[in-house]
Amino acid sequence: MSIQAATEETPAQAILETGTARRSEWSRVWRRFKRYKPGLAGATLVIALIFIAIFAPLIAPYSPTEKVGRRATPPSAEFWLGLDEIGRDVLSRLIFGTRVALIVGIGAMAIALIIGVTIGAVAGYFGGTVDLALSRVIDALMAFPLLALLITLSALFEPHLRTVVIVIGVTVWASYARVVRAEVLSLRERDYVIAARAIGARSPRIIARHMLPNVIGPVIVLASLDVGSIIILESALSFLGLGVQPPTPSWGGMLSAGRSLMRNAPHIAIAPGVAITLTVLAFNLMGDGLRDALDPRQRE
Amino acid sequence: MLRYITIRLLQGVVVIFLVSITSFIIMQLAPGDPVDILIGEQQITPEQIAAIERKWGLDRPWYVQYFTWLGNVFTGDFGTSVVRTGQPVREMIFEAAPQTIKLNLLSLIVSMLIAIPIGVLAAVKRYSLFDYGSMVGATLGIALPNYWIGLMLIIVFSLKLGWLPPYGSGSWKSYILPVAVLASQEMAILARLSRGTTSEALSQDYVTTARAKGLRDRTVVTRHVVRNALLPVVTMIGYRIAFLLSGTIVVETIFAWPGIGQLFFNSIDRMDYQVVQAIVLLLATLVVVANLVTDLVYAYIDPRIRVR
Amino acid sequence: MARSVDVLALLRQASPVTRREILKRAALGGISGPALMAMLRSDASAAPAGPAPRLRQRSQDGEPVQGGTLVLTGHQEIASLSPDDTGPTVHWVMITQIHNALVEMDENLQFNPVLAESLPEVSEDGLTYTFKLRQGVKFHDGEEFTSEDVKYTYEWYMNPDNAAINAADFAMVEAVEAPDPYTVIVRMKEPYAPFLARVASKFIVPAHYHSQVGETEYKGKPIGTGPFKLKEWRPAEYTEVEAFEDHFRGRPHLDAIREEVVPEPSVRAIGLETGEAHSSVWPLTPEDNIRLAEDSNFVVFVTSAFAVNHFPLNNKLPQLSDKRVRQAMMYAIDRETVIDEIFQGAAVVATSNLSPAMGDFYNPNVKEYPYDPDQANALLDEAGWVMGSDGVREKDGMKLSFVCTTITGDQTRRPEAELVQQYLKEVGIDMQLQEAPVATILEQLRKGEMDASLFNWTYGGDYADPDDGGTLRSDGGSNFSQFQNARVDELLDAGLREIDREKRIAIYHEIQEIIAEEVPFLFISYWDWYNIFSSKVKGLPESALVGDQIYAKAYQWWIEE
Repeated sequence: MSIQAATEETPAQAILETGTARRSEWSRVWRRFKRYKPGLAGATLVIALIFIAIFAPLIAPYSPTEKVGRRATPPSAEFWLGLDEIGRDVLSRLIFGTRVALIVGIGAMAIALIIGVTIGAVAGYFGGTVDLALSRVIDALMAFPLLALLITLSALFEPHLRTVVIVIGVTVWASYARVVRAEVLSLRERDYVIAARAIGARSPRIIARHMLPNVIGPVIVLASLDVGSIIILESALSFLGLGVQPPTPSWGGMLSAGRSLMRNAPHIAIAPGVAITLTVLAFNLMGDGLRDALDPRQRE
Repeated sequence: MLRYITIRLLQGVVVIFLVSITSFIIMQLAPGDPVDILIGEQQITPEQIAAIERKWGLDRPWYVQYFTWLGNVFTGDFGTSVVRTGQPVREMIFEAAPQTIKLNLLSLIVSMLIAIPIGVLAAVKRYSLFDYGSMVGATLGIALPNYWIGLMLIIVFSLKLGWLPPYGSGSWKSYILPVAVLASQEMAILARLSRGTTSEALSQDYVTTARAKGLRDRTVVTRHVVRNALLPVVTMIGYRIAFLLSGTIVVETIFAWPGIGQLFFNSIDRMDYQVVQAIVLLLATLVVVANLVTDLVYAYIDPRIRVR
Repeated sequence: MARSVDVLALLRQASPVTRREILKRAALGGISGPALMAMLRSDASAAPAGPAPRLRQRSQDGEPVQGGTLVLTGHQEIASLSPDDTGPTVHWVMITQIHNALVEMDENLQFNPVLAESLPEVSEDGLTYTFKLRQGVKFHDGEEFTSEDVKYTYEWYMNPDNAAINAADFAMVEAVEAPDPYTVIVRMKEPYAPFLARVASKFIVPAHYHSQVGETEYKGKPIGTGPFKLKEWRPAEYTEVEAFEDHFRGRPHLDAIREEVVPEPSVRAIGLETGEAHSSVWPLTPEDNIRLAEDSNFVVFVTSAFAVNHFPLNNKLPQLSDKRVRQAMMYAIDRETVIDEIFQGAAVVATSNLSPAMGDFYNPNVKEYPYDPDQANALLDEAGWVMGSDGVREKDGMKLSFVCTTITGDQTRRPEAELVQQYLKEVGIDMQLQEAPVATILEQLRKGEMDASLFNWTYGGDYADPDDGGTLRSDGGSNFSQFQNARVDELLDAGLREIDREKRIAIYHEIQEIIAEEVPFLFISYWDWYNIFSSKVKGLPESALVGDQIYAKAYQWWIEE
């Protein structure tokens, strides 16, 4: 349910689609996006986070992985956010943690997106038995207790940032598959698709050229919201000991390590807690803005 | 309709079986079994370990273990827990499930009562301060990790103020904190969902028409729009069931709530496979049924959605 | 011709005596208290540095008050109440209220006759033990306790069909006889020193009941002779026992004891502070321990452990097979700082496999590993590990890298692993971290499929006996480090046969020297163990050498509001 009304094209347009048409479409989206101020604020914050991540070594006052003082030293002029459970600088870990958060959030989202969109598109386009089989796989994944899957998967692979990204990615793609499948299913019978098929276009081409552009809207919205929930998922995994492992500074790991020191050294848990909240907030607000901007029916 | 339901149910059985056997195989891939927990630091010979494993049938090939267990399920026997040395899994689930259901039901009601009005109002007053404020608040509810909220609430309301018990499930007072933590997340999701559907409904032709006819906004909202706002509740319930475990486990751990989430996590931790299998099976069934019901309810509430 | 043996002399000989269960349950057990502290301090420079236990005067507690419920908290569910499942502390604390044994060890490591009238008579060859039983003892169902119950209980363990967890303790028992209702004779296959601790202290179950319902049902509906009888068992929630009016030592002061399951350590601490609970049977975080220990609202027992806090290392792993690498790791770790910061000073630096709590058996004169990164680097260079461009040493294309798997959710030891990771990195050793369930860790270590881990375990010290063939022998069932050393095997065999105490001491001193030299695992520290009680609980022991054992005395306590 979505943007197909606006992007509905005549067969000729679709086949002879030009760059200009796309560009103007995107500038319209941008105009609409700008109007939703929280969305704009979210996007600004996301860009800021990306900058922090890129320039982390320049911004961070200390090394994020080295002990610089006593365990759980409270914040001071020297260490603005204090030291963590073994004496590393919390602020520096927070700054480098931005990288990890974005790598995990965007990386796992990208994996989920690629798997989800491919499977959804294939299921929706071919229909029949293929759809039936893939849909059951999607259902099964949705009905699967993620926890059991994640615990065992993490136990089977070596501990690495890569592992966390892949494990999350391959377990959360079902929502993309569902959305894309539904869209593609309804597009399949459109005139221009039928026309394309009639002039002999091959299936991959039809999917890529005529269908995926139409599902891009909902997928972008889903993806931007997903980055946030994946960052939260990573922190939940850390709570269960399955997240990104030290010394790599991950916000979830920092939060989880600070849990037992919440009474005596609350700064250890509060700093990453605030960082996670702000980041998730930023991605969600941006996602809301995109949703409004990409959904033509919500134009005022 | 009946045919549709039958097909969906049959497909559901396939899905449940897929989930069940995959999770079993994955559990078997991970090393360790509950006997390692049973023996602890006791000085023991390999022969004695083997004898204990034999006693619990853990020496059999995995497929024998699985299909024996599955066969028993059809007779209502969900197996026995090794760690609880022979307690029937059915009993364990009957003890734990009501605890989790109570907690989730209460938080669902609380969050519905608070979040739906907020979501509808935010949609009606789009781009107002109220809209921004409530949506930022809702996002906070999603973004704050629930163990963080939980511990903070315990420190404030139990330790500092002394109003509420820090843990347990004995009195009505002990429900307040865990329900608050669960509801804070549900409210957030629910408020966002109902804002979304309401604003979608507001842009529908019939609403525009109703407005054009001169009906006051409030009438329009109550007559046409709230009905749509109920959809997210249905979605929410489906969502809640699918995420029942991951949603409650942390809350159950922190507040020492003896529910399914803790039972499940502990059983995975101890590799007590019959308990894990039983919970996986029940949850998968629940999700499949919930999905079906969600689709049917959608079709009923919103006639535009055809049942395919 | 049987003669009476002075058991106390026997115990003193092996002093200090402890019970294997304590260590098994806690993976940490302990011994300390003023007496031992004094003994250790006079002994050598090896005195533990932990805070001195607070001395209490029981006479200040006033007159006992009847009534009240003692509320305890534990960290995990009470999965069983059967005497065969006393492994976890949270189980033991309740099982000991419900049951009694012929002899029981108290919190000061003394064996006292309980269901027996006195300590047993032992034949000269050490093969026959004769117990005179206490008369007029009643089970909770009103039936009288007799020798048949003892015979039944012991034989249940001995029967291989039952696959009892504690079967190994009865391996040396030849037969159990009950010539009359108040006499039990246990015949051994061979002389067996830990008889009192391992056999005579097993809780007795009623033959008429256990044989009828079976072990599986019994574990949820136990009947014993103990001061409290089961009221309600909700494994994941709480277990409650209530006073048994006809208990042979008289009705306890308390009306009931309830043990609640509270997994999160910081929440258990808050529960103590809000008065929700009177004691946590499982330790809190080090910070919470120290804070509550300084709070006058609490009474604290600090005992020190036999178990060594250590990183088992897979000695068969090519990166770790060279002892110089393992020695380098010991030099690279600043253990003083680990103890000072992570454990708030509540531990002592480990020297080898045995703790100073072992008294004479403890050997302080072994190779020492002070913090010395230069020495560590030199050893690694010597062993041929060259520093790589990424800061990790290499040899023949292999990285000096391994994975240390800590226990899932282990909030106390996790930072320790992180800190050690830092120290190792400084000398070019890459120790990666991951977490896994305990069941996985133990099984993989036993099979040699895991690189390294971190937990506390006893390497000798069961019943104060320095032997631990289970962990140090090449074919030991819990040889987590895959340690193979012919000389140690030889010494362990000799140590078991050697009766002369001085010669035994020499044997175990040599084992410690070898362990310190070979470093099969990274021995970090011996912990202090905290048992914290609300000051409302009266009648507590004045001192304790073993923390968990304190709870067996709950029948003497009362609560003053």
